Amino acid sequence: MNYLYFLYIEFLAKHNIPQMFGDITFYVIPCCIIFVAILIVILALVLFERKLLGWFTQRKGPNRVGLWGILQTVADALKLLCKENVTPNGADKFIFNLAPILIFVPVLILLGLIPYSSEFTFMNFQTNLLIYVILATMPVLSILLAGWASNNKYSLIGAIRNVAQILAYELPVAFTVLSIIVLASSINLTQITLAQSSQLGVLGWFCFPCVIGFIIMFICFLAETNRCPFDLPEAESELIAGYNTEYSGMRFAMFYLSEYAMLFANSLLFSVLFLGGYLSPLGKYLSPMLFTGSLGGIMIYFEQAFWLLLKSFVVIFIMIWVRATLPRMASFDLLKFSWTILLPISILNLFIMVILKYFMMGGVYA
Amino acid sequence: MNWLEFKNIFGDSELVGDKIVIKSNLNRTIEFIKKNYHFDFLKEILAVDKMDEGIELIYRLYSIDNEEEVLVSITVIDDAESVSNIFDSAVADEKEIYDLFGINFVGNKELKRLYMPESWEGHPLKKNYVEKDERLSWNE
Amino acid sequence: MSKLKINLGPQHPSTHGVLRLILELEGEKILSCEPDVGYLHRGMEKIAEKLSYIQYLPMVDRMDYLAGFFYSELLCRTVEKAHNVELSARVRAIRVMLLELNRIASHLLWIGAFLMDLGATSPFFYAFREREQILQYFEKISGQRMMNNYFVFGGVRRDVFDLEDVESILNLLPQKVKDYERIITENPIFLQRTKGKGVLTPQVAINNGITGVNLRASGVDLDLRLKDNLYCGFYVQPVVLNGKDAWSRYKARILEIIESVSIAKQALEYLKKDEDLEQNLINPLSLKLPKGEYYSEIEAPRGIASIYVNSDGGLSPYRLKWRTGSYYAVNLLRKLLVGTYLNDAIAIAGSLDIILPEVDK
Repeated sequence: MNYLYFLYIEFLAKHNIPQMFGDITFYVIPCCIIFVAILIVILALVLFERKLLGWFTQRKGPNRVGLWGILQTVADALKLLCKENVTPNGADKFIFNLAPILIFVPVLILLGLIPYSSEFTFMNFQTNLLIYVILATMPVLSILLAGWASNNKYSLIGAIRNVAQILAYELPVAFTVLSIIVLASSINLTQITLAQSSQLGVLGWFCFPCVIGFIIMFICFLAETNRCPFDLPEAESELIAGYNTEYSGMRFAMFYLSEYAMLFANSLLFSVLFLGGYLSPLGKYLSPMLFTGSLGGIMIYFEQAFWLLLKSFVVIFIMIWVRATLPRMASFDLLKFSWTILLPISILNLFIMVILKYFMMGGVYA
Repeated sequence: MNWLEFKNIFGDSELVGDKIVIKSNLNRTIEFIKKNYHFDFLKEILAVDKMDEGIELIYRLYSIDNEEEVLVSITVIDDAESVSNIFDSAVADEKEIYDLFGINFVGNKELKRLYMPESWEGHPLKKNYVEKDERLSWNE
Repeated sequence: MSKLKINLGPQHPSTHGVLRLILELEGEKILSCEPDVGYLHRGMEKIAEKLSYIQYLPMVDRMDYLAGFFYSELLCRTVEKAHNVELSARVRAIRVMLLELNRIASHLLWIGAFLMDLGATSPFFYAFREREQILQYFEKISGQRMMNNYFVFGGVRRDVFDLEDVESILNLLPQKVKDYERIITENPIFLQRTKGKGVLTPQVAINNGITGVNLRASGVDLDLRLKDNLYCGFYVQPVVLNGKDAWSRYKARILEIIESVSIAKQALEYLKKDEDLEQNLINPLSLKLPKGEYYSEIEAPRGIASIYVNSDGGLSPYRLKWRTGSYYAVNLLRKLLVGTYLNDAIAIAGSLDIILPEVDK
């Protein structure tokens, strides 16, 4: 990252722009890149999901708009843009407009925290993972605000149920993340990735010692993003509407797109924590072989990002596969499952990881 | 079912073809048939508008153990006794007959219109319905 | 906790039809349930008093659009009984085969709709894939996919052909049903949502007039196919389970599909003999039934369907009444949903296989 910073300052100096300008704007550029990248990724994800759901049920997904349906999400977003923004009578206007923003912005920050490659991380904090876990609970707040500000008792009930579900599934996540931190002896995502690189190659990834945590984390991620089989708040629209009933037009689009962005961010975190992050499953990187000289040196970073994205897309594929197969869980069973089964197992997992780390991996301070 | 035994108890009933025709005490009769002869299944309650004589209600009772069916018929004019305390399926049947024929079933606590809206006047399936209704365009 | 009165329907994201349930909730528990029907009332019984029998026959398919053959058969049977017409063996075999294929199609759609109620969207498409082949065969022989208008008084409109299609469907179905079972029957989430929910004891069922699969899944052995003249010569084994809950009703319908496949295969074996179709067709023009009352019954997919025709010797019936299975199932919901939780209400109402055209005649 420092390398790029100096490159940038040199470039500006050649054109006689003061260094202070470079200092201030240097961190804006990654944010712009993330913003553009996330829009493209959400575009691809929505289409990916609809196509996959179609293929699982022996149909073609959307295939009319654009070649093979690529522009489908663009068409959806345009349609939502053109709709009328209705604010219900008696709703608290400020909070009503604030809620979609509050649900979308944290996700953008989350995407900047993930290490896409060993050198170039967008925001290199020492306590990456902690900030991630904190920011990932922001959507809870905005769901509650959305439900409250809608001035609709059904929205409020739906929002309360949704919050209950997400809170119930946060705790197993916290304990599993703790167990990963124990295994890697660090709270920094880059360090966690590096801790998974060893001579064992693929077997050094944390999904193998921490299998229980792997499964628990997967289930909790499904519940966090309100996906099937935990999509009761969305599907209860038979009787009690979800928190986003009163939203229309672009504000609804924010809720809708943030769900997919959250899905992407969660799967990235999942890949970093359990599947080795940007490490190559083949043990060593392909770029030095494919590209010669110093180009090989630079292409490694792109290759690392490629491996990370590939792993996260595999995780997303499995999540969509689960959605296509399973029915929905009922709300009491959902909460019972989390509090009585997942939470004790995740605490047990933490104990096992501590013991494992102490005896197998050479003590606590290794 | 033993017809002679039944006739001894309920004297004013007659056997017309396949049907047992009674003139009164509907609730007691049906309850007796259910308890003594095990006709525990009420298939349906029919209503036929026999214009001047009134409306004929036919009860089709079936016994699952003996595989036998019996028909009980009674002709009423405006009110009838409800059998909803004996058979629970009668609640819906009687609502329908009240809605379409206008018979008030005494004893049915949930008697209201089933198919037609609550504010509808008139009872559609009666034979003299169409001629009288002013809402129909050809009656203006 | 305060009481809340909400509406379930009449518009549904699932395929119950236009059923409206007025529920009174306290927290999550349902205190009372009142069904409000009548959104699909078409006046079928009043119309029958104005039309002649052959004019009324195409309307009868629409009593229950998923099981149109059964109601068509009911009306034909009544006229044939009144005129003492006996059906030849080939006509009976054609009728039985088509009735059982219709039963399979109806149960397949129920599986798809029930699971879509519960949230699994894929089995809907898989069930429709099989149903599509059955409907394409119906289109071949009668010109229409549903509401076929194929049975006439005394026989059928034309002989069946292309029996290889039926054979391939019947050979394909058992394996496909096994595939559905693999993803549904032992699925823990499905079990959690249906086992022990909507328990229907035999006494309550008989008191409420419930028939068909709902009754047989509660342990009572009542299947009219065993005494039906149309099924004379066919080996029918009714499916009776003892579970009484929503899961048993699901399992009973799956097993009924397999049973219907075997009955249809028996009919198919007879039809392959390739005889000429001899029918004693009743002349439908100026058809009059002798004065009197006629009752007919049949085992339809949703219960016992029966017809009552009171004829005064004229061209149209004096009174015609239908008795359908779903009507009493809707009535049962008043008692069955009390005390359950809101999430279970949809699963229970879906497991009873209610279709609204049957309820609102």
